Amino acid sequence: MSKINELFNSKISAINVGIEFFKDDILKQNATAAHLEWKPPGGGKPELIAALDKLENAELLEKIEAANKLAVERIVNSQPILIGFDQAINCVPGMTKTTILHSGPPITWDRMNGAMKGAVTGAIVFEGLAKDLEEAAAVAASGQITFAPCHEHNCVGSMAGVTSASMFMHIVENKTYGNIAYTNLSEQMSKILRMGANDETVIARLNWMRDVLGPMLRDAMKLSNGIDLRLMLAQALHMGDECHNRNNAGTSLLIQALTPFILETNFTTEQKREVFDFVASSDYFSGPTWMALCKCALDAAHGIENSTIVTTMARNGVEFGIRVSGMAGNTWFTGPAQKVVGPMFAGYKPEDSGLDIGDSAITETYGIGGFAMAAAPAIVALVGGTVDEALGFSTKMKEITTTENPNVTIPLLNFSGIATGIDARNVIQTGILPVINTAIAHKDAGIGMIGAGITYPPMEAFEKALLALSEKMN
Amino acid sequence: MSTKVVIKQSTYFDSVSLMSLSTKANQIEGVEQAVVAMGTEMNKEVLRNVGLITPELEEAKTSDLMIVVKAATDELCESAFVAIEELFKKKSAPAGSSEIKYATIDSAAKSIPEANLAVISVNGAYAAREARKALENDLHVMLFSDNVSIEDEIALKQFAHEKGLLLMGPDCGTAILGNVALCFGNAVRKGSIGIVGASGTGSQEVSVRIHDFGGGITQLIGTGGRDLSEQVGGIMMLDGMKALDEDDATKVIVLISKPPATSVEKKVLAQIKQCKKPVVVYFIGGTEESVVAAGGHFAKTSKEAALKAVVLAGADESTINKRALNIPLVEEVRAKLTPEQKYIRGLFCGGTLCDEAMYIAMEKFDNVYSNIQKNADYQLKDLHVSQEHTFLDLGDDDFTNGKPHPMIDPSTRIVRFLQEAKDPSVGVIVMDFILGFGSHEDPVGVMLPAIIEAKQWAEKEGRHLEILGYVLGTDLDNPKMEDQVNKLMDAGVTIASSSTNAGLLSREFVVKGA
Amino acid sequence: MIQAISGELGMIERLQRSEFSGYVHSVFDKTINVMCLENGELYTLACHRVDNAPNTLVIDVNSFGELGINMNDSVQVAHNRINIGSKLVIAMDHAKLWESIVPSYPTDVELLKKNVAKMNRHMDMHGTRGGMKKPLPSHRMFEEAVSSMLLERSEMLLTALLRHEMSTAFDMAVRLVGLGPGLTPSGDDFLVGLFTIFNMPNSPCSEWTDFSARVVQEAQGLTNEISYMAMKKASLGRVRESILGLLHALIAGSQEELLLALDRVLNIGSSSGTDIATGLVRGLEINIHRGGKICLPKLSSNKARILIPYR
Repeated sequence: MSKINELFNSKISAINVGIEFFKDDILKQNATAAHLEWKPPGGGKPELIAALDKLENAELLEKIEAANKLAVERIVNSQPILIGFDQAINCVPGMTKTTILHSGPPITWDRMNGAMKGAVTGAIVFEGLAKDLEEAAAVAASGQITFAPCHEHNCVGSMAGVTSASMFMHIVENKTYGNIAYTNLSEQMSKILRMGANDETVIARLNWMRDVLGPMLRDAMKLSNGIDLRLMLAQALHMGDECHNRNNAGTSLLIQALTPFILETNFTTEQKREVFDFVASSDYFSGPTWMALCKCALDAAHGIENSTIVTTMARNGVEFGIRVSGMAGNTWFTGPAQKVVGPMFAGYKPEDSGLDIGDSAITETYGIGGFAMAAAPAIVALVGGTVDEALGFSTKMKEITTTENPNVTIPLLNFSGIATGIDARNVIQTGILPVINTAIAHKDAGIGMIGAGITYPPMEAFEKALLALSEKMN
Repeated sequence: MSTKVVIKQSTYFDSVSLMSLSTKANQIEGVEQAVVAMGTEMNKEVLRNVGLITPELEEAKTSDLMIVVKAATDELCESAFVAIEELFKKKSAPAGSSEIKYATIDSAAKSIPEANLAVISVNGAYAAREARKALENDLHVMLFSDNVSIEDEIALKQFAHEKGLLLMGPDCGTAILGNVALCFGNAVRKGSIGIVGASGTGSQEVSVRIHDFGGGITQLIGTGGRDLSEQVGGIMMLDGMKALDEDDATKVIVLISKPPATSVEKKVLAQIKQCKKPVVVYFIGGTEESVVAAGGHFAKTSKEAALKAVVLAGADESTINKRALNIPLVEEVRAKLTPEQKYIRGLFCGGTLCDEAMYIAMEKFDNVYSNIQKNADYQLKDLHVSQEHTFLDLGDDDFTNGKPHPMIDPSTRIVRFLQEAKDPSVGVIVMDFILGFGSHEDPVGVMLPAIIEAKQWAEKEGRHLEILGYVLGTDLDNPKMEDQVNKLMDAGVTIASSSTNAGLLSREFVVKGA
Repeated sequence: MIQAISGELGMIERLQRSEFSGYVHSVFDKTINVMCLENGELYTLACHRVDNAPNTLVIDVNSFGELGINMNDSVQVAHNRINIGSKLVIAMDHAKLWESIVPSYPTDVELLKKNVAKMNRHMDMHGTRGGMKKPLPSHRMFEEAVSSMLLERSEMLLTALLRHEMSTAFDMAVRLVGLGPGLTPSGDDFLVGLFTIFNMPNSPCSEWTDFSARVVQEAQGLTNEISYMAMKKASLGRVRESILGLLHALIAGSQEELLLALDRVLNIGSSSGTDIATGLVRGLEINIHRGGKICLPKLSSNKARILIPYR
């Protein structure tokens, strides 16, 4: 029987695109119909539609699908292991005493926003490169400091992402593919360098982290055979974290794993007590750890010819930059950083917020954070919405991703895997942007975190990426 | 101790929900007591007895739902109510509210394995792309969108043909598949007649006539208006015919189109010859010879097409009410018109209905103008000014440009109607009113005030204004056919029983010396 | 188009005469109610899981939840089709006709007595609390008060009836109307059960059908329209299929049949089923009680016949 005759003999089940009442009319007639939340591809821009069309050419399509399959396989199969902690100068490739890494795509001192400038000057003082903040600003502007994105040094950095030579780093090795990723330690909450705060208390904490916390963690990990972070991440998701803004479970798991080794280090009980108190002071302690895990997995998927999979999303407070696998190396596609919408701490107003900042969107790039909101119904207050909306976010993200990661699952979605492998083509095709859970830093230097909420990348970054990909491929 | 009261007016929840609500409300932390009960006198009496009554509650009616919460503090009461409202929301949210929304045909098709059809009505600039995606996903396509290039149409249809799928359109307004009308369509009986139509309202007209004559439809396949052009080559009509020929339920096939390009006509006729089933051909304004030579059954009008199909499908012709032309009515109207009132003005929402009436007029008149006249000499010079006999297809791009199609919003016709009504040379204004899925919910109601006003003007000027209306629909359609017809009749509009009769009546009203 | 599966004779006849237009009065998951403008009565469209009932048409849908029907949607009937807004079209061509016929009161009441006792025991175990069956002790004054008033008034009603103190009985019955939790307040449900028994042909209580008619007349405005409709129909001996099934089982059924039929009734609403069943049991008990003492005049059974339509 021909397919047309088959249709004659089956119940109509329609997919309706466009005028919605056509769906209603079909439903009235006792047939089924699903209405698409359709948007013109590429926002209706002809050059983008042309690019999409080009990438759909059969021959090219085959190449892209194969490349993407490989890319997402590498993301999914990556098994990042926490193998140690050490100072940046000792482990981060290309690190020098006068290098300061920052979050997001490249940016010069003069263009940095308040929070990042605050963090940079704080770090300069911390490193002893200037005696006070004022002098630090002059040093920063003098050209003596080498600024570079964390991402370009196998690192990620939360919020301002400011990472300097003597800061202690997580060292996370990809057991499957061998690459290593780094990120610094959580300063825990509120008035902290990564949010742009930089007074004496901040510097004092950094000193303690360099002198006590960091060395203790380093020594502890020397006793360990490594901690399987992916396994721990999967557990944390089952315990109600989305591992970007909610880290209650993950932090407990991580410190639980570290504690026996910490106890065996040669530090005083008092120092150990300080460390445990510090960890207990904020649930964010494991936040950077997950970022390093994500970076480690995504770096393994970067640089695959013809792949349209997004491997980086990062913001420097001014620009939002993405990288796609098919454009090897440090090719950034950027657009303006966006506002973050969400509840603010008491006393702050939306106009106090700095724009979206930080490398933490690496978590969404991997498939957790905003993408895994369904795992963390407890944070729906953050999105000011309902559990249904949280579920909706996670489901919706599957429209723009390529696969599901079976190693990290969401119980509420029938244990389906997290949405993995953002495809730049899908973002342009659907008009659906990746959703990002994140903190809000004050727009001025020296104040710190004032709230949390959700945000989206600028479409422009994806548009540029798609056009570049289409131009490159033949 | 604090008490808070909410009365939900005329709110009915089933007892099970009410009870579970009440139980849950009583379990909310800090709640001493929660009452969820209908606002009957007796229940209020109980509230009085236990000291929970408030003036607000005294006002509750038997159909109201009373909710009373007593808690230690105002804050606890407030938060309890927030929780109760949540419970209500959960209860009142329609099932499937967490229904998954899809953004692309790819993702929807992947998630709905039983999906077999895509109905596409997005802007023409994006439509071809979506149609291609649908075909790639093995979905049949109803492509409602217009402004799709002929190159895209050819590519899509060839692709569909290769895959053995339907690609109905572009600019396909109607289809009925498995008794489900898509986009614009009428509720017609299931039966044994299959239709392949290149013209939307023409197909609708034939389907409702078949229903009126007691027959029914198996499938109605739309092809889009350009299918029988030289370039497209009738791909969809040929595929549709073939499928209907192989369909066990179909006994008779009806083809509807404007006359095809010569090369395409040859192909269609060749296929008619091969058909196992009788084929009725209604090519608006077409000729009989070639159709008969190919073994087809020629129909000159939409009504004839329907009638032949019903009879070929086995109906006893003598039992069918053929709705013959009302000759005395013609005489009556002629008598009312002055010699100056000699022109027909047709204001149509349906393109084929316009076409049919126009061809009927052209049989007796030369001076028939239109925006859809093939002969350039008789195309309207100025679309906004009628000339002699004028037939307007108001659904044509000439008029719609950016506005909704008059089938969706017939009000776009009002201004032109009033303009024609003022013209003393007008003998009859003929209008169609299209019912059914997709169409306006009360097309007659929209025009009625204008019709009444125009009639009053004419009366003041001492002339008769003849308005002829045709309501396209069936007794199963919404709104009700009968109501629409009655409203028109009450306003003094003459009713034609079919598109064909609308054409014939309007012509006969103004024909001279007949 | 959706097919009607079955419907009450009177309703179908009315629909077939197209003497029916109205609006959607209320929407539930398993039923919707339609207010008929021609006679001001509520009619019910029920999904196929629901039993036949007075003024009810059972149609082939799983649930109304997804059909998008809203309160006040217009309902029109033409050519044997019910059109609800533009959302639902129901064809009645193949609907089976159903009539509510209350079984006759048996001449031999031995089995009935045994079955009533079984039913009481079963309800003690499985009945739903909150209405006619006392709720478990709690600090919730409203529930406690409702329950004691329901018991008090129903007992006084029955006592007054037995003593032929009709004005007290009337007063008590009216004061049960609209009393209690649920969409159909428990007092109403109890009266539905009781009135059903009065309408059993040959019932020793059938002289009280007049009484029930007067109570119903007074009840209008004291409870919501949905509940009122059920009482009104019960006072005319028209009740839902599951109640009739229970009566049949009580009169002539095996233990298994009885319990199956009883469970079907107990499953109505939340406490509604238990409240109706309580009305039935109490009604039967006074029948048994009266039947033992008084020989009934034939007249009343004839009258009952007249009141039951379509016999």
